[in-house]
Amino acid sequence: MRMLDVKDLHVSYGAIKALRGVDFHVEEGEIVALIGSNGAGKTTTLRTISGLERAFKGEILFKGENICRTAPDKIVGMGITHVPEGRRVFTNLTVMGNLKMAASLRKDKAAVKRDVEAVFDRFPRLKERMNQSALTLSGGEQQMLAVGRAMVTGGELIMMDEPSMGLAPMIVEEIFHVIDEMHRSGKTILLVEQNAMMALKYADRAYVYETGSVRLEGNAKEMLNNPIVKETYLGA
Amino acid sequence: MDNFLQLLIYGLQLGSIYALLAIGYTMVFGIIRMINMAHCDFLMMGCYMVYFLVSVLFGGEMIGPAVALLVVMAGSSVIGMVGVGIERVAYRPLRNRPTIMCMISAIGVSIFTQNLFRALPFIGPNPRSFPKLIEDFTINVGAVKISFTRIVTVTLSIFIMLLLWFVIQNTKIGMHMRAVSNDKDAAALMGVNINRVISITFFIGAFLAAVSGSFYASSYPVMQPTMAVTLGNKAFIAAVCGGIGDIRGAVLGGFVIGVAEILVTSVWSEFAYGFCFLVLVVILLFKPEGLLGKPMTEKV
Repeated sequence: MRMLDVKDLHVSYGAIKALRGVDFHVEEGEIVALIGSNGAGKTTTLRTISGLERAFKGEILFKGENICRTAPDKIVGMGITHVPEGRRVFTNLTVMGNLKMAASLRKDKAAVKRDVEAVFDRFPRLKERMNQSALTLSGGEQQMLAVGRAMVTGGELIMMDEPSMGLAPMIVEEIFHVIDEMHRSGKTILLVEQNAMMALKYADRAYVYETGSVRLEGNAKEMLNNPIVKETYLGA
Repeated sequence: MDNFLQLLIYGLQLGSIYALLAIGYTMVFGIIRMINMAHCDFLMMGCYMVYFLVSVLFGGEMIGPAVALLVVMAGSSVIGMVGVGIERVAYRPLRNRPTIMCMISAIGVSIFTQNLFRALPFIGPNPRSFPKLIEDFTINVGAVKISFTRIVTVTLSIFIMLLLWFVIQNTKIGMHMRAVSNDKDAAALMGVNINRVISITFFIGAFLAAVSGSFYASSYPVMQPTMAVTLGNKAFIAAVCGGIGDIRGAVLGGFVIGVAEILVTSVWSEFAYGFCFLVLVVILLFKPEGLLGKPMTEKV
């Protein structure tokens, strides 16, 4: 089944055109990576899917329903979870408070508790810091918390924006490992990454962005060997 | 010494009024990073609302503490809804524009409201006197005289502020408010309805301003459409002194400004208003983020 279908998406910030007709789609159960240089419009794409930005042209179909005009909180309720760029944990709340926030829309208290336990099992360091302000966490721990929040929110489609940004290689490995686990547990993943090598290793398919539109698309493993991609994004 | 204690009582009363008003400035700033220049007008509206309720329902008779409390709460709730309405009409459409536009819109709302009230035949530009809600009497503690109205004002204000603090720290909506003030986009991505949280914030702010209006007018019973402007300025100074965006700061700032103003009034009354600004300048010179504020860092 087609989970997400983005058609001819145009977004602008005032006079600046951030997206000039982006087309891509995500099938249920896939990991799809969006790669490309800084400012190509990858983050804008995710923000528009989440309802944080408005498209002036094009459509976004989530399980067949157009969500272009839907409010962000409703979109979360429909099953799209977005882990934003730069982690964006609530620094005035505790680690536990952040996880509780992630469960804002969930009514099933027992299941939420189970999911929070699962986060603590996966990231024991968050458990140790449960009652600490999120401000005191290191960058890596904040990213764990951001991913942990997504585990608690629990949508069907998880969008990750630059999960590796600014993190030590070991933590990057760990985060990607968790993304892989989420995928195995049945989630569909849409991944935005500057670390193209890492993204392509885990993804099924990938789209390469260039200045507001998709330049290349294809199988992720093949793309690893694509000369253009290699030269431009893998630094080989 | 007795004189000082007496002044301190006055200062606490005025301070609790400033504190209630300052909370509204600080909460709105905390949540949408905008100074609501029309905030003080909720105080004025609150006074007129209670005035009309008392005249219509009770013919201006004295109504006793319990009924008075009920009337003040009901009237202030109406003003709370007015606050929600004003946000929707005048600020929400400008949400994603630079905050200066919102602020200019707020100045417009303020000027419009005051002039509308002057023009309405049943309000008019002439001062009216706020009805006496409760029988006032004085308690003597040594040489210090404390009127019942003052006791009620200070204790109720402190009770309301503690209640607000409890709600913000311990309830789901309180947590949502804190999350939205920390990061609006991230809160939206957790499924929080941002518009609802902002509406609730405006309701609380306008409600508290209206309550403070009734408290103020119970001691200084002259009402007119522009009555709240200087009060609003002082409450705003209080919010900034305490650290804007921080509710505890607004309360502390309110009491500091209230007590300072009364103390200065007793020796040089013409200078008291100016002195509030002096306090502001001195605090900002030594602690630009305010007494309880945290330094703001712009993340890139």
